[in-house]
Amino acid sequence: MRFSTRTECAAALTGVDAAFAKGRTTAIVGANASGKSTMLRLAAGVLVPSEGVVDSTRVERASKRAFVPQRASLAADFSVRETIALGTALKTASAARVDAALEAVGLAARCAVRFHSLSGGEQQRVRVGRALAQIECAQGSVLLLDEPFSSLDPAEVARLVIALRGFTSEGGSVILSLHDAGLAREVASDAIALRGGRAIAMGSADEVLSPTMLREVYAHEMLEANSDARWLRPHL
Amino acid sequence: MTLRFCILVFVVLLLAFLRLCVGPQADSDGNIVLGLALPTAQTLQFRALSIAGAGAVGLLLALSGLALQALLRNPLASPFTLGVSSGASFGVACVLALAATTGLSTRAFGGEFTGALVGAALALGLVWILAKRASGRDAVALALAGVVLGGVMSSGAMLLEQIVPRGLRGDLLAWMAGRIPELPEFSTLLALWSIAIVGMLLVWRMAHVLDLLMLDDDEASAAGVRLVRTRVALFLIGGVLAAAAVSFAGPIGFVGLVAPHAARLFISHRHALLVPATALCGVIVLLGADLFRQALDLGTGRLPVGIITALVGGPFFLWMLSRSRRGGSEWNL
Repeated sequence: MRFSTRTECAAALTGVDAAFAKGRTTAIVGANASGKSTMLRLAAGVLVPSEGVVDSTRVERASKRAFVPQRASLAADFSVRETIALGTALKTASAARVDAALEAVGLAARCAVRFHSLSGGEQQRVRVGRALAQIECAQGSVLLLDEPFSSLDPAEVARLVIALRGFTSEGGSVILSLHDAGLAREVASDAIALRGGRAIAMGSADEVLSPTMLREVYAHEMLEANSDARWLRPHL
Repeated sequence: MTLRFCILVFVVLLLAFLRLCVGPQADSDGNIVLGLALPTAQTLQFRALSIAGAGAVGLLLALSGLALQALLRNPLASPFTLGVSSGASFGVACVLALAATTGLSTRAFGGEFTGALVGAALALGLVWILAKRASGRDAVALALAGVVLGGVMSSGAMLLEQIVPRGLRGDLLAWMAGRIPELPEFSTLLALWSIAIVGMLLVWRMAHVLDLLMLDDDEASAAGVRLVRTRVALFLIGGVLAAAAVSFAGPIGFVGLVAPHAARLFISHRHALLVPATALCGVIVLLGADLFRQALDLGTGRLPVGIITALVGGPFFLWMLSRSRRGGSEWNL
């Protein structure tokens, strides 16, 4: 993947050349406005690069690639099951896929509850469930998530991480953006660090998310304190 | 669910039957009173035509409202609240004024339907630009802009009305308030029902895409929805359905707002069920309003049905506005 894109006056992302391996979870980290969301939107195919290419020939169909944007809204009062079934809406509705997605995100028991009456964490799990239902088969597919853990409590984060690990264990790839470096190290095997729209490091999560590199990424000392997410481990 | 659809169909049939039977009668003293009796062969024909007209207009406005709500992801959208009906009225008034000043037939200018279509497209285009500028997020701001646009378009139509000869002006005024013609031509009804049924089938065919359109734009696009193509289709369907209704019966307000929400409340938010349910609710709202109007004006046809729908729909719109202001989920009534 190699691309750059321009907003009205400035390049949002420049000279990024990245490849994503099967069965891996890649975290894109960086400060606000570093280009994380832009990179995910490009990878999801909803944004077209002004220069360069996004080579997604093997995952270009909607059944091989699903995207969950940050703070997405739902303009209808669907039930949990109906919302997750939206993932299969353009294909023949597959009840089995919807059931599997409900199980994966741990909401099978709440499938009849209305989406708007769920907590923020549950709504986020429904969104991920919808994306999982969209994908026909995990093997060789990509799940793109923009800040999936924002405003979730530790137990909700853990439930979502378990669902994502299930997806990668079946051969799927997860690419997610995070601003919490500690959490990124806990959930991802690979990482890309962005700063000012440029990739300043990529490789294994341990390398990219080292305290030295984090100072470089965030240009701030205080983030060393935020480079640990051991609080998550008891929940997993 | 099947039972609920059966109830809606039963209500449609009941209202149609009542509309056939309710009408003015002379009592023993010769006074005109409201009567309930099986129609005679004489009254059956024109009451049936009026029912067919009211049903078609209800269906057209309701589906137009549903298409516009999906297009803008805005629960306050409807042909009337977005100014599309007023735009269509302005278009019709333009055609009538042109015909009156040139002495030519309205057909020389494409007829009332073409005028309504151009006016509706103009209003919808303006609303679309406003929605894009507001990023489509502020439902209330867009609805208020639509109401103001509707007011401007209505005033334009009133201004043009001054050009129209006095004989025609009375009819135009009543038409502007929204009125089902008492004796519509059969060919007009046929055209109206054809547009309504084709429109309904087109929206119904898009049901799965409309469900996905309720997601965020990026999410829907990544799920395979071709956003531009879908929105152009909804723009055209919403505009044509509203224009057809307005060119026949004038700008009858709030049917396109109330009917889709009633259908969501009673049947489902899923468009595969919502489309037929909205169509039935639209027919129910307009048949009910027409029946009420018939009872009030004793079948003289002087009271525009748009007044009845505004009396019911206006408070509903204000209630939805207040819900939006309080930050509630506007889609969950």
